[in-house]
This record gives sequence, C-alpha cells and structure tokens, in this order.
Amino acid sequence: MSNNKLLEVINLKKSFGGIQAVNVSNLMFTENILTSIIGPNGAGKTTYFDLISRFQSQDDGEIYFEGKNISSSQPYRIARLGTVRTFQLTKVFERMNVLENLMFAGSTTKNDSFISSIIKFPSQKEYEEELKNKAYEVMKLLNIEQMANSYARELSGGQKKLLELGRAIVKSPRVLLLDEPLAGVNPKLSEQILEIIDNLIIEGKTVLMVEHNIEAVMRVSARVVVMAQGEIIADGSPNEIRADEKVIDAYLGSTNE
Amino acid sequence: MRLSGRGIVTGLVTIFSLASVYILNTGNATRLILSLLTFAGIYGLSAIGLNVHFGWTGLLNFGHAAFMGMGAYVTLLLVPHAAGREGEITTSGLHIFPAAVIGVIAASLLGLLLGLPALRLRGDYLAIVTIAAAEIFRLLVRDLEGLTGGVYGIISYSDSLQKYRPKLLDSLLKDIDASLNQVWVGVLAWFSIVIVLLILRRLNNSPWGRALRAVREDEDAVRALGKNAVWLKLQSFMLGAGIGGLSGIFLAFNYGSLQVTTFVPLLTFYIWAIMILGGVGSLSGPVYGAVVFWVIISETDKIAGLIFENANGQQLAGVRFALVGLLIMLLMIYRPSGLLGKKEELLLNVK
Repeated sequence: MSNNKLLEVINLKKSFGGIQAVNVSNLMFTENILTSIIGPNGAGKTTYFDLISRFQSQDDGEIYFEGKNISSSQPYRIARLGTVRTFQLTKVFERMNVLENLMFAGSTTKNDSFISSIIKFPSQKEYEEELKNKAYEVMKLLNIEQMANSYARELSGGQKKLLELGRAIVKSPRVLLLDEPLAGVNPKLSEQILEIIDNLIIEGKTVLMVEHNIEAVMRVSARVVVMAQGEIIADGSPNEIRADEKVIDAYLGSTNE
Repeated sequence: MRLSGRGIVTGLVTIFSLASVYILNTGNATRLILSLLTFAGIYGLSAIGLNVHFGWTGLLNFGHAAFMGMGAYVTLLLVPHAAGREGEITTSGLHIFPAAVIGVIAASLLGLLLGLPALRLRGDYLAIVTIAAAEIFRLLVRDLEGLTGGVYGIISYSDSLQKYRPKLLDSLLKDIDASLNQVWVGVLAWFSIVIVLLILRRLNNSPWGRALRAVREDEDAVRALGKNAVWLKLQSFMLGAGIGGLSGIFLAFNYGSLQVTTFVPLLTFYIWAIMILGGVGSLSGPVYGAVVFWVIISETDKIAGLIFENANGQQLAGVRFALVGLLIMLLMIYRPSGLLGKKEELLLNVK
C-alpha cells in the first residue's frame, strides 16, 4: 500500500433534520488500491459519496484532493480534477444511444463548445474519430459493442450498470467512485465487472466502491471501511474486518458469512 | 432526405390542411393561404427556437413570448417609427438589418439575464419562473410608455422593411389577390426558417448538440462527467431566445402596428402547441406543426358554421374552440410524439 494521500476528509459532517447522516473525523484514501465502503442500509455510505463528489454540501468539515481544498467546489470541477462517480440508481442518457453515451462522456469541454461545433474545425472531426474508437474499445471491454446503436433505455439493468461504468472509464479518471456497481447484476456479470475493476487498479487507478456483496468485497478489496450510523466503526484489511467484533455486531451478523 | 412513413404522413396532413382551406374558402382562398403561411412561418420559426429549449435541452420555458417581444421592441425602436399616445415620430434610425441583428442579440441577452438565476432551478420551477418573467417583461413594456409607446404601441415602422421588397415579388404577385407587405414578411420568415434549420442541423449533429441532449436526459450524470450543465443550459437558452426574438421581429412587421397585448402568455402556449403538434425534438417538425395549427385555428369556425347552420357568431366561437381542442386531442392520441417526432424519443414525459 502506497502512502500517497489522494483524497482526504477532515471532520466531515452532514445531518438531515437532526439525524446525523455522516460524521467522519478523518479518512484518507491512498492511491492505486481498491477501497470498499460497507455498512448497513442508512449508514451514510451514499451520502458520504455525495459529499466527496460534492453532489451534496457538507454542514461542516473539509475535503482535500491531492492536498487541494475542494470543500466548496462544483461537482463538475471535482470530475475535471479526475474523480468520476457512478450512481446507485443508474443514470444513463436513456434517449441517446450507447455510442453517444460513451462519446459524450469522453469528450472534452473544448470539443463540446458551441464555437467549434458550429465551425466544425477539422481537428474536431479527427478528435471525434478518436473518441469513437475509444468508445468502441470500452464497449468491447464491457461486451456491449453489439448494442452500440441501441437507445440506452433499451438496455437491461445490468447492461446499464456496465454502460455507466464504461462512461466513467472513457474519461480515464484517476479516481473512480462506484456506488453499488454490482447491485442487481447477475453473478457472471458481477465477475466481469470485478475483473474490469481489478484491471483498473493494475492500470494505476484508484477505486472507491460502496457495495453490499460482502463476499466480493472481501475477495477483491485491499482495504475495507465500515460505516454505521454515519460514523466509521472499522477500517482495515478484509481479514481484520472479518474478525472485528463491532462489525460482526453491526453488519455482518454472524462469522459464518 | 430519406422519405420515411412519418414524413409521408406529415406531408399528407399538411397538404390536406391547405387543401381544406381552398375548399372552405372559394373566392379568397389565395389571399387566405398566403396570410396563413406567413403566420405559420413566423410561429414555426418561434417554435423551432422553443424546440432548442425543450426538445433538445429539456428546459421548460413558458416565457417564450418575452423573447419574441424583446426582439420585436428593440428592433422597432431602432428603426424609424412612431410611438406612444401622441404618435411621436422618430425619423432617424438604423437600417432594418443591423437593427434586427441587435434585436436578436437583445432577445438572446434577455435569455442570459433570465437564465443566470433561473437555470439553477429544475423542471417545473423553471416553468413558473419563466412565465412570471414573461409577464414582468410585458407589464414593463406596457408601463414604460416613454420608451416603448406603452399601451398605444408602435406604428409607422413597416416601411423600413418594405422598402427592400424586391420589384420581382411585386410583378410576380401582380395578378394575385394578396397583401404584398405580408407576402414579403412571409418570404423572409420562411427564408429564415431554412437558414436556421441548416445551422441547427449542423449543431444537432455536433458534440455541442450531443451535450445538450445529455443535459436533457440527466443533469447529474452530466455533472459527474465533468461538464458544466448550467453553462450548457444557458447557451441553449440564449440560442433559442435569439431565434424567438427573430420570429418576434417578423411578427411585428406582419402586423404593421405593434401592440403590447401581442405578447400575452397565450402566444407562448400557441408556440408550445405548434411544437408538440410538429414533434418535440424533431428539427423541421415545428414547421409542419405551424401550418397545421394555423389551418386548424383559422378554419374551425367555418367548419363549425357548416355543422351548425343556424348558430350565431358567439356560439360558433365556442364550437370553434371545442373543435380545436378535439383536433389537437385526436392528434395527440394517435400521434403522441407529434407529426415528425420519434416515438422512441417521446419527450413529453417530463421528469
């Protein structure tokens, strides 16, 4: 495990009508590993994701990305720094086809601009070609290339998960925040997604994942963070977590998991 | 362009609509059809602008009349005109072309001004703000009498456009019963439609158009992918507002005198009806929608008169609106995506 601080939060607090959703005093994520966040329903995992990707504002506390304070940045700024997230309830662009979904994700702001779109610079055409190739590579990786020209709404739930993951991959971010990437996905597809995540780590990406599939989490994660009632109750390697009494009480239930 | 089933049906409906005008109006059909096509061109152009907002970007703009009004007022006040209670004459002014360009830019800037605070809102909240803003615009124009002519309106501005009417048009229409002024405005409106559609087609097939569609589909996902959704919405708002402004200028020149009551919310709802009839999200749909809409609006009283021979004017007006409603309902039941809209991209189920 390297010790490069990538993402760090200090005293992050968020409550909804008196109920403390997130209360994390200090949590640091290091580069190039897969960290999973687990915990019972309502533990604040997704809220935590929303806070560090700035889709929700914290009541208090600070967030640093590579030492840079991003506590009040806009969500799209966070993404531009290299952190791309997915959503628990998949958010694909339903009435656009799969290829367009991926090409939009990969496209730069400059390429998307009104001026270059109305003039249609030759460089834009070239870039779009590149983008298309890249999109097809990702579709091949995710095994959805036969769906390239289908509307995203026509995909199955699992394929939508794949497409959302694909959109994140096309952007080639440094950090991926995956919110339940395996939820509602069949076992075979789950394995495939885990393999893709594994490859991302090998390529040097950092992945944070919220997931309920404990068996998978324990098998693939380098580090597991356990949340309950907004707080972090355990943080360590899968083996340490498996043996932790507090975690067994709050979440795992029995040691026979 | 590839001829699709949808395209054929749309063509047939449009031709049938115009043919019915001929059948229902022996005697003055030509004049009526030319007038109708002028209105259809102007309203169609406006609906194309609204379609950029709603069809492309998913923005619920219910204040389109304000953008049309902004374009019209700024342009008319820049060319020679007479305004206000005393009909105070302004003889100096710009040529119509630069004035119209400034009018379009002003409408666009109104879009920016309105969009800056409003586009942070979502869906129906934006709808409420835009309808309120349009009313504020209209009431301001009404009450700032010194500047805008207020309730007395603006007159004597037509010449600034009509003096550029080509002689060719006059000789072509020599033997035809038609208003030359109106036909000239109609020709320009339809010419603008062609230009605007060519530009929009270019944009629709571009990364920018793709980005707007993505905003329409899911703003959160757009943000999560590092794109500034508010800025994209703002650009869309300005473009559509500019197109609306241009159509407002034509509307003013079609009337010959400008009344502030032209820009009541009803105008916005007419434009909405045209966009929905034509097919939300389709490029040229609003144009056909506009023709069919104007035929329905202008001919239903005659159809009502045929059905109820002994009815008086007031009764007919009531039947007419019932017929308009019935026709629009039938179209919506059998073609919920509009004449040219794609069913797979049916856009009326707003989140």
